[in-house]
Amino acid sequence: MSRKLKKRQGDETEVNLTPMLDIVFIMLIFFIVTATFVREQGIDVTSPDKDQPPDQPDIVAIVVAVDPNNNIFVEEGGQLRQVDVRSVRANVARKLAENRESPVVVQAAETSDMGVVVRVMDQAKLARDNPPVPVSIATTEG
Amino acid sequence: MRSRRTEEQGEEEDINLTPMLDIVFIMLIFFIVTATFIREPGVDVLKPDAQKDARIPGVAVLVAVTEDNEIYIDGDQVEVHEVRPEVERLRTENPKGPVVIQADEEADTGVVVQVMNQVNATGARVSVSTKED
Repeated sequence: MSRKLKKRQGDETEVNLTPMLDIVFIMLIFFIVTATFVREQGIDVTSPDKDQPPDQPDIVAIVVAVDPNNNIFVEEGGQLRQVDVRSVRANVARKLAENRESPVVVQAAETSDMGVVVRVMDQAKLARDNPPVPVSIATTEG
Repeated sequence: MRSRRTEEQGEEEDINLTPMLDIVFIMLIFFIVTATFIREPGVDVLKPDAQKDARIPGVAVLVAVTEDNEIYIDGDQVEVHEVRPEVERLRTENPKGPVVIQADEEADTGVVVQVMNQVNATGARVSVSTKED
């Protein structure tokens, strides 16, 4: 295509802008619309690394056990049976008062339901706000 | 700013296109660059409820464990020992993003903890997903 060079005054764009604008705007709208922000809420269960110092002998962990039938036990010399919800929180709070730095370990049976364990962990975390309660999970056979 | 009407014939654009194109392109590039595509497991689970849960920003990898203890990543079902390589592979796109485990309420704790250990071994921050408030 030979183009005749005409004398042009000023700058006239040869590029056809309309299709390009079309494409660009559509792409932009696509990205804006598909930018849905993933709303995930959860409990952090990252287990600490090996750089965690070994527990000092006088820090005893508070153990909350969950058996295969989703019954919850808090140790009390022997083992006490408890109801879900509020009891766990109150018990952990009481034990934390005796022993400020003890971590809470949820010893869950392998076939217990995760929902129950999450609730127990949640309740344990509610027992104290500062410093936050360190909660971890351990599994036992059953 | 009055446009001189004396010599204009046909239509000349009054709008200065260059700045607008600038802005549009920059916005477009911004969105393209910040778009991380999230690999959904493809399975819905019933999440337990918790009060002390917190929003997890920047999630890129989701692992789902159904009530039958099946593990789903990115739409595929995987075995427990395959979780770690899969998660490591997906994390390469978003190395700093936390990994969220969506465990069903009735999933066995043993299986979920095994998945947790596998994901922990990849070095990611792990969380268990709970119901949205």
